Amino acid sequence: MRRFCKVESLRTATEGIDPKGFFGPRWALDRGCDYQVVRAFGAANVLEEQIMARPLRRRSVLQIAAGAAVAGIYSTPMRRAFAAAKETATIGWPNDVGSWDPNQRFTPDAQAIFKAVFDQPIDQDPQLNLIPHLLKSWSLAADGLSMAVELRDDVTFHDGSHMTTEDFRYTFFERPKSGIKLDTANSWRKVQDIVIESPTKATMKFSSPAPTAPQWLAFLGSFVVPKQYIEAGGLENFLKKPVGTGPYKLAEYELNSRIVLERNDNYWGPKAKIGRVTIEIIKDPSARVAAIQSGEVDWTVNVPVREVQRFKEAGYAAVLEPITRVVLLQVRNDLAFADKNVRLAAHHAIDKAALSKAFYGGAAVPLSVVATPGTPGYLPDFTFSYDPELAKQYLVKSNFGPGNPVKIGFAATNGQFPSDYDMARAIVQMWKRVGIEANLEVIEYAKYFELNRAVKLPEATLYSWDNATGDPELYTGYLLNPKLPFSAWKGEEIGQKVLQLLNVADYDARIAGYRELNRFTIEDGATIPLLQSVLTVVHKKNLAYTEYANGWMLAQTLQWS
Amino acid sequence: MIGIVGKLIARRLVTAVPILLAVSVLLFCVLRALPVDPAAMSLPPSATLEEIEAKRHEMGLDRPLPEQYLIWLVDALHGDFGRSIQFRRDSGSLVATTLPATIQLALAAMVIAAILGIGGGLLMFRVRGTVLEPLTDLVSILLLSIPEFLWGLILLFVFGVMLHLLPFTGQVAPDLPAPRITGFLLIDSLLSGRLDIFLSACQHLILPAVALGLAFSPTIMRVLRSSLFDVYHEDYIQQARLRGLSEGHILIKHAFKNASLPTLTLAGVQFGILFSGTLLVEVIYSYPGMGNLMVDAVRNADLPLIQTIGLTYCVVVLMINTVIDSLYVVLNPKLRVR
Repeated sequence: MRRFCKVESLRTATEGIDPKGFFGPRWALDRGCDYQVVRAFGAANVLEEQIMARPLRRRSVLQIAAGAAVAGIYSTPMRRAFAAAKETATIGWPNDVGSWDPNQRFTPDAQAIFKAVFDQPIDQDPQLNLIPHLLKSWSLAADGLSMAVELRDDVTFHDGSHMTTEDFRYTFFERPKSGIKLDTANSWRKVQDIVIESPTKATMKFSSPAPTAPQWLAFLGSFVVPKQYIEAGGLENFLKKPVGTGPYKLAEYELNSRIVLERNDNYWGPKAKIGRVTIEIIKDPSARVAAIQSGEVDWTVNVPVREVQRFKEAGYAAVLEPITRVVLLQVRNDLAFADKNVRLAAHHAIDKAALSKAFYGGAAVPLSVVATPGTPGYLPDFTFSYDPELAKQYLVKSNFGPGNPVKIGFAATNGQFPSDYDMARAIVQMWKRVGIEANLEVIEYAKYFELNRAVKLPEATLYSWDNATGDPELYTGYLLNPKLPFSAWKGEEIGQKVLQLLNVADYDARIAGYRELNRFTIEDGATIPLLQSVLTVVHKKNLAYTEYANGWMLAQTLQWS
Repeated sequence: MIGIVGKLIARRLVTAVPILLAVSVLLFCVLRALPVDPAAMSLPPSATLEEIEAKRHEMGLDRPLPEQYLIWLVDALHGDFGRSIQFRRDSGSLVATTLPATIQLALAAMVIAAILGIGGGLLMFRVRGTVLEPLTDLVSILLLSIPEFLWGLILLFVFGVMLHLLPFTGQVAPDLPAPRITGFLLIDSLLSGRLDIFLSACQHLILPAVALGLAFSPTIMRVLRSSLFDVYHEDYIQQARLRGLSEGHILIKHAFKNASLPTLTLAGVQFGILFSGTLLVEVIYSYPGMGNLMVDAVRNADLPLIQTIGLTYCVVVLMINTVIDSLYVVLNPKLRVR
């Protein structure tokens, strides 16, 4: 081992590089490298007189080459990655957007990303109240058959063009009716026309009452897209270079890898605090945990619940946020579940608090109706008890019991939402104790609708339902509407009640109707709500963001402190 | 020699056609046998049964299976591999976007596997009969028994989380752009004159490539050692010893050259397996390659995309085999004479 210089003097002379670190100058010196090698490993500022120069030998040249490569690879970009500038932030996100056409598919996880690049006519505040956004005002007619809207006049798309009612009409009427297969074609199927009165004023006309039109303008897929830009450049061009009116512009997109957003300095509303936000698509939960722990990302979601406490202890901001997503059992009204006693027994047998404790650290609120606390359809005074003895009594009425169990089919996804399959297995055990023998099968989430359409779902299916608006129509009105593929329940009585409520234009009457219906569906055993889902969030303590009750994480609300 | 290699490539191209057709038929039939309705999957959940039926008719799914295959084949020959259900984009363009990243990763992994495999094989042979032999055996068995995704997690945890030495998310640092010219980021960064991007891309490539390389190196190691044992029974090794050549010289200059041929064949086979091994490693490292896309496609029962990716895997493996066979001709003079 040759040592040609004093290590301590190297330490002081070398800036920006940890001399003791791997591949640092001390590391090189400790391994007997010549001074050229030490320099290649990063000691560029080392004083010449502190080093005894030697002529280069063959070995030295090779060492220099290897050292330079390692130092180059190790030092510059790596250091940059760990030194997060305040003008940038990196988010670890579990899913990609799939398509940059925000009207195309209803993907709840993509909403937050779309909301950075595009704007919705109506927005929601953190408590989920509807607030003006691109629309300055809206007025739903008493009969629910029309809605007058007034747009802001100071909104421009990222290409500099002005947003007008032409774009609004194009987004909510022309595109959905054009034959392109957009998910918004369903949400806006009632739109007969949008009559333009001026560049900022228009009236939406509906074929039947549309009481939740304002909610839908703040919901999935309702993002205003530029008519002229899409028509002139074509859809493919739009998908490659999407243009919205949002607080960020899409600067770069790598499929399944990352989304780079740059602040829109001409944004009509409050400017985003962080100039550049990179969203790394990290699908594996363990990899997201590693990414936040190593500092590769500053903020991430959907890490395993058990990790939250560990992150808290390690000095991160880690929270379990209850959101407007519900976990429930979608049930059929036939097969073994044609018997109301069996349905109610199945519900009474489930210890929801135990499920919450086991799988969500106790943070998920057990639900007695299909609505989350704080939303209009929630019934705070109504509880459905966990009572295995009562469950047994219901089963006895139908000549079943632990000795003579009723056999049912039970489907669950595995990995669609946290602990889904494990939760299903726990429910199977709870049922077994009272006399319900469930045959658990795993299904892909994407197959739920197909199986439901073909009437091939089993008696019960573990399901997760997201409703960012919190409106009861988008809970019970969809989950128990027999005409929609979301509902496994096809019973006429509840179906009629739902269909009637879809046409009630008066807000208070509508909400009252849904609250009554929510109670009825539980007492009838038409649905088995389990838990209010929780979102796990871990971030650096000095990176603040606005918490929304529906779990939105908006890049435009991020702020370093 | 060029003529022989050219003929071999031409012959391989001709045989590739029926192989690809057979694979495409197999893929098509297997995917159609799955209990998944591509028509329903390609429409919003709220689509009515009539709309699904219309879509099924539009997609030709109401026709006999052979006819469906012919329609698909004709479209594929025209470069239309069908529209991805999940992404609602042309499957071919999705694969074209992600394939370069996977090739780049697989090649880097193969280089690492070759270095470790050859180095390890030579070492194992060199220490034969010594006290070190059981140790090298143990290491090779250990390497052999850990799958690539587990290596991925181990390396991520050790070098990414514990030591903070290497990044493990994506292809390049978040604050650097990813230029796209050829699709191969390492090449594109150099073409655009951005050394910083190149270095960052190298950093991001190390862990996934090593994870894959580590998993595939022990097979090379063991085959090389076994080939060396065979070669050392040949007369020319004894003659080399009689000529007074050193053991190291005999091993590298004489034995290794001849023992490398079976290893090369194995490397070709390994590359095919390694290429498919990118699937989970890409997910763990959020690497934007075809493996990551395949996992998405399978999860969403995106049949057109699964079919296109499956066929692409087949094409890549055929190409690699052709390259390996060509190399075999280059390295083996006996084949050139024929």
